[in-house]
Amino acid sequence: MNVDAVQTALGTEHAALWTYGMVSAFLGDQTAAAVAEGANLHRARRDTTERWLRDHSATPNPPAAAYLPPSPVSDGPSALAALVAVEQDTCAAWRGVLERTDDQGLRTSALEALTTAAVRATRWRKAAGTTPASITMPGVASG
Amino acid sequence: MGRVISESVSRRRVLLAVAAAPLAVACTTEPPPPPPPDPLAALAAQARADARLAEGLTAVPAAAEIAKARGTHASLLQAEVDRERPPLSSTAPPAPTAPPTPPDPLAALRTSLDEAVREASALVASLPSYRAGLVGSVAAGCASLREVLG
Repeated sequence: MNVDAVQTALGTEHAALWTYGMVSAFLGDQTAAAVAEGANLHRARRDTTERWLRDHSATPNPPAAAYLPPSPVSDGPSALAALVAVEQDTCAAWRGVLERTDDQGLRTSALEALTTAAVRATRWRKAAGTTPASITMPGVASG
Repeated sequence: MGRVISESVSRRRVLLAVAAAPLAVACTTEPPPPPPPDPLAALAAQARADARLAEGLTAVPAAAEIAKARGTHASLLQAEVDRERPPLSSTAPPAPTAPPTPPDPLAALRTSLDEAVREASALVASLPSYRAGLVGSVAAGCASLREVLG
């Protein structure tokens, strides 16, 4: 069902926004602009996703009070790892939407969300020195 | 007597005509048009070409990773093409004809990855949903590779 997949994607957008806010304290000035840009794009995506749900007679799920990153964040490298993880979760959720809808408008925005999250995940992996920095199949668990 | 012979000839002619009729039909009927090519086949061919191009760029640090990723894209896309329309012989896909090396292979790879993002993205809206996820991930994967190549 479209709406369930979109609610899942909205959940990852809430988590991403929370994570971008949380990590900023651990990252230096040279990443501040990229962190702010990522946060802004996730905020915009959250807003359009909530609007889509309301237009389809669904109540958007609210954000949780806090999110648990896969590993505790205590310094720069763990902050980058949390950003990579949340972007990859976002990729998986939007790919899930692509696979569950025939609505062309929704497909287009899901693809855009998947692609931009994949590019941001790649940037953070590059910043963290992860090899390979690229993700072969964003949104696929093994990707 | 003459009448009998002429009758027998005419009967033979009639038999011949009857026997030949289906043949004539068979020869004039158009064969059914071949189904349109699978759009994923073109994406697979593009991925194979990118992998070959990247393999040649030994001086570029990211090239090996790009060659490997585009090779994976090619096999995933080809597997979906073959699943939907099993190849007639086990020799498919055709052996790639080695294209001439472009004068600036690095620039060519950048352009080709940009095209791959565009072409896969353009296809996503029109595909059945079970294929949209696969092609969407290929598009996003090419955008990721483009980011690494710089």
